[in-house]
Amino acid sequence: MSRLRKIKQFVISDHRYVFLATSFVAAVGIWFSLQRRSAMSFLRGAYTVEVAMYWFLMAWLALSAVALVWKLTHWKGDAYQRTSPFTKPAAKAALRLGSYAVCAVTAALFVDRAVMGFLSVVSDSLSHDKNPSDFLSSIVYMLDKSYGIIGQGILTTVGLSVFGTLIAFVLAILLVFLRIQQVDRCDNDAVRFFKTFGTAFAKVYSTVVRGTPMMVQGMLIYFAGFGLLRNSGMTVSEIGKVWSTFVAGLVTISLNSTAYMMEVLRGGIEAVDPGQNEAARSLGLSQWQAMIKVVFPQGIKNAIPALSNELVVNIKDSSVLSVIGVFDLMFATKTVVGIYFKQVELYVVAALCYLCLTMVASWLLGKFAQRLSVEPQPLTSVSDMNATVGTVAGTGSSEYSLDKKKAR
Amino acid sequence: MGLDNTAAEPLIRVENLRKSFGSHLVLKDIDFAVMPGEVVTIIGASGSGKSTLLRCMNLLETPDSGHIWFHGEDLAADRVNINRLREKIGMVFQSFNLFNNKNVLDNCTLAPVTLKKMGKAEAEDVARRNLEAVGLSDFINAPATSLSGGQKQRVAIARALCMKPDLMLFDEPTSALDPEIVGEVLNVMRDLAAEGMTMVVVTHEMAFAKNVSDKVVFMDQGVIAEQGDPQQMFTDPQLPRTREFLARYLED
Repeated sequence: MSRLRKIKQFVISDHRYVFLATSFVAAVGIWFSLQRRSAMSFLRGAYTVEVAMYWFLMAWLALSAVALVWKLTHWKGDAYQRTSPFTKPAAKAALRLGSYAVCAVTAALFVDRAVMGFLSVVSDSLSHDKNPSDFLSSIVYMLDKSYGIIGQGILTTVGLSVFGTLIAFVLAILLVFLRIQQVDRCDNDAVRFFKTFGTAFAKVYSTVVRGTPMMVQGMLIYFAGFGLLRNSGMTVSEIGKVWSTFVAGLVTISLNSTAYMMEVLRGGIEAVDPGQNEAARSLGLSQWQAMIKVVFPQGIKNAIPALSNELVVNIKDSSVLSVIGVFDLMFATKTVVGIYFKQVELYVVAALCYLCLTMVASWLLGKFAQRLSVEPQPLTSVSDMNATVGTVAGTGSSEYSLDKKKAR
Repeated sequence: MGLDNTAAEPLIRVENLRKSFGSHLVLKDIDFAVMPGEVVTIIGASGSGKSTLLRCMNLLETPDSGHIWFHGEDLAADRVNINRLREKIGMVFQSFNLFNNKNVLDNCTLAPVTLKKMGKAEAEDVARRNLEAVGLSDFINAPATSLSGGQKQRVAIARALCMKPDLMLFDEPTSALDPEIVGEVLNVMRDLAAEGMTMVVVTHEMAFAKNVSDKVVFMDQGVIAEQGDPQQMFTDPQLPRTREFLARYLED
C-alpha cells in the first residue's frame, strides 16, 4: 500500500532531470520501433500508427535538446527559471502529459516487440518437430520436451537443501552445546570426563567436516552405507529402497552443514557479552542454566543472518551430490544435456534455476529474520522520578546491531 | 549503621588469598573479613586489585591459593558447590549486565524461579516489592535494553536482592554512569545499608565511602595497605601512599 503511494508520489512530483529521463525512455522506444516485427506483433497492420509513434518520440527528443540548449545558455542564477518557456505553469502541465505519453508509447512498443516477439518465438519453437538451432528457440523447445525432468530435479534440490538445513540446524544446536561447555569447579570426575570428551569430539568433527570437500564426503557416506548393508546380506535392489541416493545425499548435506552451522552458532554465542553469563552465574545459576536461559537466546539471535545464509549455500552446494547419482537439478540438467547435446543452453537454464531458488530462499529468510528480531518497544511510562526521556529505547537496538556485526 | 561489634563470627573471611593473571601477581596474600551488617568499601587506584578481590569473593575469578570462608564452607576449595553458595551472595556489576533478552520483571524472577527458591507467583511478588524499593515499579514490563544506565543499575540491584542474599558485592556500580545519575544509584545503596545489609563496595565515590561505610579498605599493588574507620582514614591516613591517593580525590 505504502509502496503504491510512493510510486504515485514519484509520478506527480516535479523532478529536475525529467527531460533527461524521458528522453532516455524515448530513445529506448525508438530503438524498439526499429526492430523487426514478429509474427504475433499487434502493430503489424497499423503502419501509420507506428510512424506517428516514431515521430512523436523523435519530437520529444528534439524538445529535450532545445530545453538542454536553453539551460546551457541561461545557466547563470535563476535565468533559466525566468526566461525559459518550459517553466511556465501551462507548459509544465503540458510537458507532464507529454512525458506520460512518451512512457505509454515506449511501453506499447516494448510489448509489441519484446513481449510479443518472445511469445512468437515460444509458439514457433513449440510447433517444431526437431531442435531449432537458434539459442532461445532451442531452450524453449528442450524445456517443453523435458520440463518433467528439470522439475523433478528442482524438487529434489529444494527437498535436499531445505530438509538438510533443518536437520543440520537441530544437530548443530546439540553439537554447539558440546563444543562450548567448560569444566566447572564443582563438577565431579564423570562430568569432567564427558565435558572434555564432548568438546574434543565437537572440535574434531568440525575440523574434519569443514576440511574435506562435500563431494568426497558424499561418495564416502554413500558407498560406506552401501557396503555395510551389502555385508548384512541385502540385495542391491533391497538396498536401493532404504539407502537411496537421495537418503545418502540428505545424510551428507545434513552432516556437512552441521559443522558449518555449529561454528556460526558458536560465533553468535561468543559474541554475547561475557557479562551476561557472569551475571547469571553470580545469581547461582549453573553453567547449563545460564546458557539455556540467558546466553543462548541472545547468541542464536546474533547468528540468524549467517544461519539462514546456510540454506542458500546448501541449495547451491547440493549440486555436487549429483556425483553419487542424486537426481537433483544438476543431475537432471546433465541428463537433458545427454539427450540433446546442447550444453551451453541447458547449463544457462540450470544457472537461472539456481539463481531463482537462492533469491527466493534469501527473500523468504529475510522476512523470517525480520519477524524474529522484534525491536524493543518504546516505553510509555514517564512517572519515574528520574526517567530520562532521551535515552529510552535507543541503546538496546544499537547494541544488538553491534553484536550482529561481530557475529559475522 | 547497626554494627554489632559483639558478633564474633565474620560473615565472610578471606585468608591468604593469592591470584595472578599469567605472571602478574594481582592479589598478594590478602586477609580480610566482613562482619554481618557491615558496609565495607574498597578504594584504591586502578589496577590495585580491588575488583579482582571482589570477583574472587563469589568465585567469578578463581583464586590461585588461599581460603574464602562463607557460612562455614571454603569457597576456594576444589569442587565446592559454588552455585548454591552464590545464591547467598548478590553481585552488582559496573556494566549492569541485565539480561538483554528479558524484561525487567523476568530479569528479577529468572534466578529465583529457575533455582526453585520460589514459585512463579511468589517470585513476581518479591520482584515487584524490590523494584518498588528502587523506584522502578512502573517499568516492570519494559525490555531491559530500553532502560537508561541508572535505571539498569537499580534493576540490577533489585535483581540481586530477589535472591534474598546475605551479602551484596558492588563492583564499581556507578563508574559507568553519568555524574548526574550516580546519585540515584547511591541513594538505593544507602537505603540498603540502612536496612542492615552486609555490603562490600568497590568504588571511587569517596563521599559514599566516608559517609556510609563502617570500614574503608585501601588497596595498593595487590595488598591491603591500610584499613580502618572511615573518619580516621579520611582525616588521618597513616601511610604516605594513602595520603597521596586521597589527596588526589579531595582535590576535585
